[in-house]
Amino acid sequence: MDMPRRTFLGRAGISLGAAALGGLLARGRAQAAPHHAPAADAVIFVCLAGGPSHLETFDPKPRLAALDGQDMPASVTAGRPIAQLQGARLVCLGPRVGFTRHGASGLAVSDHFPRLGALADRLAIVRSMVSEQINHDPAHTFMNCGTALSGRPSMGAWVTYGLGSAADDLPGFVVMTSKLGRNPQPIASRQWHSGFLPGRFQGVELATTGDPLHYVARPAGVSAAGQRDLVDAVAALERHRLERLDDPELATRIAQYELAFRMQTSVPALADLAGETAGTLALYGAEPGKATIGTNCLMARRLVERGVRFVQLYHSDWDHHNGIDGFMAEICPPTDRAVAGLIADLARRGLLERTLVIVGGEFGRTPMAQANKGPVGRDHHCAGFSMVLAGGGIRGGIAHGATDDLGYDAVEEVVHVRDLHATMLHLLGLDHARLTFPFQGLDARLTGVLPARVVRGILA
Amino acid sequence: MGHGATAMSSMSPRSPSARPSDRVGVPAVVPATVLGLAWLLGLGWLLGLGPMGGARAADPDFGRDVRPILARHCFACHGPDAHDRRAGLRLDERSGALGATPSGARAIVPGDPAASALVQRIRAADADAVMPPPETNRPLGDAEKELLERWIAAGAPYTLPWALESPRRPAAAGEPGWIDALLEERLLAEGIEPVAEADAVTLVRRLHFDLLGLPPDPADVAAYLADTRPDRYERLVDALLASPRHAERMASWWLDLVRWADTVGYHGDQDHASSPYRDWVIAAFLADLPFDRFTALQIAGDLLEPAAGEHPDDRLLASAYHRLLQTTHEGGLQLAEYRAIYQADRVRNFSAVWLGATLGCAQCHDHKYDPFTARDFYALGAFFADIDDEKHLEKGGFGERNLNALPTFRGPEMALVGPFDRPEAARLDERVARLEADLAAAADADAESAARRAELEEARRLRAALTRPLMVTSALDVPRPTRLLARGDWMDEAGPLVEPAVPAALGRIDAPGRASRADLARWLTAPRRDGGVGELTARVTANRLWALCFGAGPCRSLADFGAQGEPPDHPALLDGLALDLIDGGWSVRRLLRTIVTSRAYRRASDAPAATVARDPDNRLLARQGRWRLPAEGVRDTALAVSGLLVERLGGESARPYQPAGYYRHLNFPQREYAAHDDDRQWRRGLYVHWQRMFLHPQLLAFDAPNREECTAERARSNTPRAALVLLNDPTFVEAARKLAERVLREPGDDAGRIGALWRRAVSREPDAAERALLAGLLERARRDYAADPAAAGALVATGIAPRDGALDPAETAAWTALARAVLNLHETFARY
Repeated sequence: MDMPRRTFLGRAGISLGAAALGGLLARGRAQAAPHHAPAADAVIFVCLAGGPSHLETFDPKPRLAALDGQDMPASVTAGRPIAQLQGARLVCLGPRVGFTRHGASGLAVSDHFPRLGALADRLAIVRSMVSEQINHDPAHTFMNCGTALSGRPSMGAWVTYGLGSAADDLPGFVVMTSKLGRNPQPIASRQWHSGFLPGRFQGVELATTGDPLHYVARPAGVSAAGQRDLVDAVAALERHRLERLDDPELATRIAQYELAFRMQTSVPALADLAGETAGTLALYGAEPGKATIGTNCLMARRLVERGVRFVQLYHSDWDHHNGIDGFMAEICPPTDRAVAGLIADLARRGLLERTLVIVGGEFGRTPMAQANKGPVGRDHHCAGFSMVLAGGGIRGGIAHGATDDLGYDAVEEVVHVRDLHATMLHLLGLDHARLTFPFQGLDARLTGVLPARVVRGILA
Repeated sequence: MGHGATAMSSMSPRSPSARPSDRVGVPAVVPATVLGLAWLLGLGWLLGLGPMGGARAADPDFGRDVRPILARHCFACHGPDAHDRRAGLRLDERSGALGATPSGARAIVPGDPAASALVQRIRAADADAVMPPPETNRPLGDAEKELLERWIAAGAPYTLPWALESPRRPAAAGEPGWIDALLEERLLAEGIEPVAEADAVTLVRRLHFDLLGLPPDPADVAAYLADTRPDRYERLVDALLASPRHAERMASWWLDLVRWADTVGYHGDQDHASSPYRDWVIAAFLADLPFDRFTALQIAGDLLEPAAGEHPDDRLLASAYHRLLQTTHEGGLQLAEYRAIYQADRVRNFSAVWLGATLGCAQCHDHKYDPFTARDFYALGAFFADIDDEKHLEKGGFGERNLNALPTFRGPEMALVGPFDRPEAARLDERVARLEADLAAAADADAESAARRAELEEARRLRAALTRPLMVTSALDVPRPTRLLARGDWMDEAGPLVEPAVPAALGRIDAPGRASRADLARWLTAPRRDGGVGELTARVTANRLWALCFGAGPCRSLADFGAQGEPPDHPALLDGLALDLIDGGWSVRRLLRTIVTSRAYRRASDAPAATVARDPDNRLLARQGRWRLPAEGVRDTALAVSGLLVERLGGESARPYQPAGYYRHLNFPQREYAAHDDDRQWRRGLYVHWQRMFLHPQLLAFDAPNREECTAERARSNTPRAALVLLNDPTFVEAARKLAERVLREPGDDAGRIGALWRRAVSREPDAAERALLAGLLERARRDYAADPAAAGALVATGIAPRDGALDPAETAAWTALARAVLNLHETFARY
């Protein structure tokens, strides 16, 4: 019987799938074993939160331009879920910006993103993404956790559960956020929660302003030496007790206090951008001390450099129900600069080939106009949208899949959110079907119970 | 008939069962009752089953040994889910396993492993033939294969899933010491020597932590040690169980299960009106409201008649249970989608809380492992289809009312006085009435009248402040129609309409007309002989109550009594506890008293290495468990030790210090967190504002759940983030400084005060080494703070608690360093 093993795992308070069993047993080692040779060691997921329009970013639709102002064919929209346009007349809205072909590949990218376009030969654009959720909160949860149900682990938690962290004094899964300053959709910490996985795989949010990490600053009136003295005294008291009492929790705790103390130095050092050159700051459009997409993209590079496994950036304000022209003109340039800067900087430092960069929102936007809130915009749309990938294991200069002529339904090489997850895990050396954790009777996994496939077409 | 005999067959493997009734799913109709009667008559017991209900080690026990293997490796394709069943074979029922499949094969031929297709397939060398298929990544181990063969050789006896069997009364149940008789018999059989009783100080601390969630005051410890009465332990237990602090501790447990929180959880995560329900739960535990009534009021309070002694508001207060789920009014939402989401949420929570079942798995398909169908899921959901709670999903459902407000509005709501505010409200009502009468009698507006009028205004204001809104359950005249949604797809309206019904495997409610939530509530706690599942509900509950006192239940899966959970380590103990709960009139307090007065509870948690090696997971309970306190316990302990803890019961949620900008991602509306600047700052963790999307980082660091879903068991992590909270969170630094002041006010020298400090935190005397370490820290801190008065001033100014001006700041700062040390020790926050 396998009772002893189950007993052991039960004692640890958790039961584990095969991959992570290694992780637990290897506690103290930097890294757990992947299932196969990984193409990338880290992920930077830049979430353009709110749902950027695929039609003004990465999916050119000349046919839609030709139908601008005409009724959307009812055959396309009949019986389909719809968000704020419920009950409204559905009218085609042509692309609001031109597209330019870039690089040797001739990959078309909208003119909102010239810098990213210049890197076209490094990009794989998936134009056939589909999600199952049409409202922000559940759609984010779906994109992060593979389900809209609450209480499930986010992808960063799954990845650190599967691979551990290579960082000695930083968490393995870090989240940073920025917004343009309008009135963005809320983001819930559920998006980086560990769900039913152990809490240590939870994403840790670092702030660009104030204390970078909660409770990382010493209390007022306590010097660094005083804090060191305190931590040492606590460790000495704990060791003394450990000599008389066999309590593994005590031993763990001594180590965690030491790590906590080191984080009080390492986290502020990480957040201090003084060592970055003016050229690098300009490359990203980074502004030290300000939570912008530029600053956070630069932080993402610094995190990956230090061995952090999964970095997730949320850049809010892409929910353009109205005023899509003005708002896109405002938000795209800094985003373009920051993301292109990140990819270029990673490349010149030799980090890009081991780092997977993913850029996209929780869904796209309707080919139909939304005109009930002032200047024209677009409504939520999850039946077809785009996602950009670059870096470790990705074949550059390609567009994968397609939406129909109107940009409504993904029709070729459809990539479901769980396919994206399977592909991401694959690039990290993990088999999505084997990265499991027992929960409510299932060997639960990020990709859930329905079939998921690795998108081979975008692999190098 | 036949289930008693089935159990017999597991004892008498040579008489293979020819009984037709070895079904997992008890048919909906009569048999459940008849079979239950067989159990109640103690058939299995009389036939000579051992007290632990298991067979001899040599005979594979279906429930304990075989079903877990089949469930893990086979049920996904050969289980209860008819939709995905392969080859027409189901192995979760004996009739299915023994019959010929459409291909003519017989998976199991009782007594003849070689002729059994199951054995041929699990032994097959060919990758195309072997079961389970390699691509499922669930290969059987050799020991497992061998066990299945032995089981088939022994006649392949089946038993009901253990949780569906009626509990069997252990021989000594009800007699004093029955728990220990059971446990010690097993230990004796296993040759394990149970460890001795823990020392008195450890016991006092353990009881305080388990029953109150707070450490004992040094005076409590001293009083106990000085008490020479033989029943001092039982006296302490009774005193603690009667304490309001105990009711608060139990409420924390319950609020995790029913996922109570202060906010809606989705999208804007606005505050919703829920705190009076929390207070009702506390009041219910304080009154030891019987668990069956406690249950009924929550499920159907709005439909029930009041019981004697119940306050008229109690039924509606309890009915808020149905409104605690996550809700949203995000723009662009689809009403039908959220109707389905809410229904599923309710089914998940209800089945997890009361049935220990993962019925949520049947939302899209029949359950893969347990005998629950998708129809069961929707039929259970239909019970909740009369709950009036959709107006916030409809645009303009509440007229022009702005729902992007704090609090938002989730009608129907009701203005109520919390249970603990009732005396004060009555007093104020009386005063208002008296003043009104006085004023009416007084003819003219003299000075006295003006004063009275002012007094009246003030009384009315105070009275109004005691009224809080609460989301309540109100039944629609016509329940919403409930359809079976194919694959859970809310857009598919082709599914059949379903009427309210309980899962068929669990029996049936015979109601004239449409079964109601009141029927459901009655069914939950009615005994099996009356057509209910009271024994199951009692098992689920008793198991969790035991876990509060030992760290694990007799069944380790606190939330899942199904095939994918763990079968109980101590079926007889679990049965005895469940029956004890029922026999004791569903008194939770009485059962807790039985548990904590057992010898098993009083054992030391430290054991000889050999004992630990024999049973590392402590399944046989030769020793007690040990664990770090839950998040609220960590907070409350620091506050209690410092003297800051506020002991007021109930009220609005409290807002302790929180890192700036923590809510910056919240919107609709945007919000600034304002920490309370009065004594609400030092309320128990139970009362901390529970923001689902951004739970207070202090609580999060110690594994408090965000209460999106039912939490039956919290994780207990040990992370650097938790260390940072204890080191640097102003709540803990402030507690340290007040603890330092407390110690400094005591007479004596440094050595005496070090002892006092230590006793406050860990209830025992420091030894020489500990004294020396603390003395060294004190000496250095004194030197540093004497040299840096500004630093001392800054440290002792942490938090809003007034500083004791009579004490020297530098001295207070130095002692604060010591107090911080003890408030960072594992022992301070560990329950041994």
